[in-house]
Amino acid sequence: MSDNVLRVGIGGPVGTGKTSLTEALVPIFIAAGRTPGVITNDIYTQEDARHVRRELAGVLDPERVVGVETGACPHTAVRDDPTMNLAAGEEMLERFPAVDTLIYESGGDNLTLTFSPSLADVFVFVLDTSNGEKMPRKGGPGITDSDILVINKVDIAKYVRTDLGVMERDANAVRKGKPVILTNSLDGTGVHELFDSIMANWNASRAESVA
Amino acid sequence: MAGNDAVGAAQLLVSLQLSDSAFPSGFYAMSHGLEGFLQQGLVSPETVGGLLEDMLVRTVGPSDATALARAHGAAIRRDWDAVIDLDRQLFASKLSAELRAASVRSGRQLADIAGEAYAGTAGGDDLATWAGLVKARRTPGCQAIVTGVAYAATGVPVEQAVVSDLFAFAVSYAGAALRLRLTDHRSTQVLLRRIQPTIEAVAADAVARPALDIGGFAPVGDIMSASHERAHARLFTS
Repeated sequence: MSDNVLRVGIGGPVGTGKTSLTEALVPIFIAAGRTPGVITNDIYTQEDARHVRRELAGVLDPERVVGVETGACPHTAVRDDPTMNLAAGEEMLERFPAVDTLIYESGGDNLTLTFSPSLADVFVFVLDTSNGEKMPRKGGPGITDSDILVINKVDIAKYVRTDLGVMERDANAVRKGKPVILTNSLDGTGVHELFDSIMANWNASRAESVA
Repeated sequence: MAGNDAVGAAQLLVSLQLSDSAFPSGFYAMSHGLEGFLQQGLVSPETVGGLLEDMLVRTVGPSDATALARAHGAAIRRDWDAVIDLDRQLFASKLSAELRAASVRSGRQLADIAGEAYAGTAGGDDLATWAGLVKARRTPGCQAIVTGVAYAATGVPVEQAVVSDLFAFAVSYAGAALRLRLTDHRSTQVLLRRIQPTIEAVAADAVARPALDIGGFAPVGDIMSASHERAHARLFTS
């Protein structure tokens, strides 16, 4: 796959807002002059793919959104055997050679999910405030080792008895300097910052591989 | 005979690697039609073994396994045009779009991975040649054909190659059955042991079958697969 294609992997537990973050990021990528395609990994239906097509109608060609079935195990499909996702990405680039950004949204999963480095250049792990204040302390490779940790739904923290300050502090403590970004994907809070962080991460990793 | 034993061990290791359920062939995401049968209420824990046997005898044996055997022979002769013909023939014989897509998605990735994994080792050059043709889209890249080339390039005899790939299919099917709650961890192993005589017989037939006879005949399977393509919900890509 071309080095000029940015591949972003977005993973995290069920319902944390991976799909809405994807939908919020796509227009920002387009505004930045990039040409995105989206590959969703639904557990059981094409619900996520359909949602992205519907929400981004007029912004993203529906043909540039595809759903991949995962054989009942989302983390296998993006970590142990990413064959079907790699193939879906290649087919997308063959059909739409202008695409230079692939966003892989994992199926909702548990804290052990990670993305294969061969599938995603930048791995974003998404929690939300309703997962509970303690979640960052529970750790797991997505929370501690992902390139970027997002804590989404900052607007509802007060309703779910989560002290956002504690959640952010604990996340930073276990991530040893790696970025933690607070977002509300529905009103756009933090999403530009997430975009900047994705690009910075990608540029840094490319500079590293050249050096 | 010590020398022969050593060669046998090398070939056995190739078989074990390529047919391992942990080999990233994409088989994990496939049910090979099983999920379609389940959605239509046509398979149960009592009949899941019989359905596997039918699939092996009626479709996988006459189509993929036979194509693998013939591609193996052509690859040993380095007759790449003949391998391309076999690949196209196998691709055309798969009636449902999801089975064609699953086969080439798996095959193209397999060619790429095996090309890299075997580079610089015995058979690596032939594998790289075939992987190059697949990557250039000169040929569809069906999984069974890529596998046949890989086994031929590494010196695995044709019978062992066919048996290994049929067993990989059976393990993948059994894994899907487990996740679809048609078997449990114990009955899965019973199923895999009971199916072995069928695999032996199907492999022997495939090795003897001429290329012109490539293609299975299982209309109900094709209908299940076609309805699975449009199912509202599914766990598997096939």
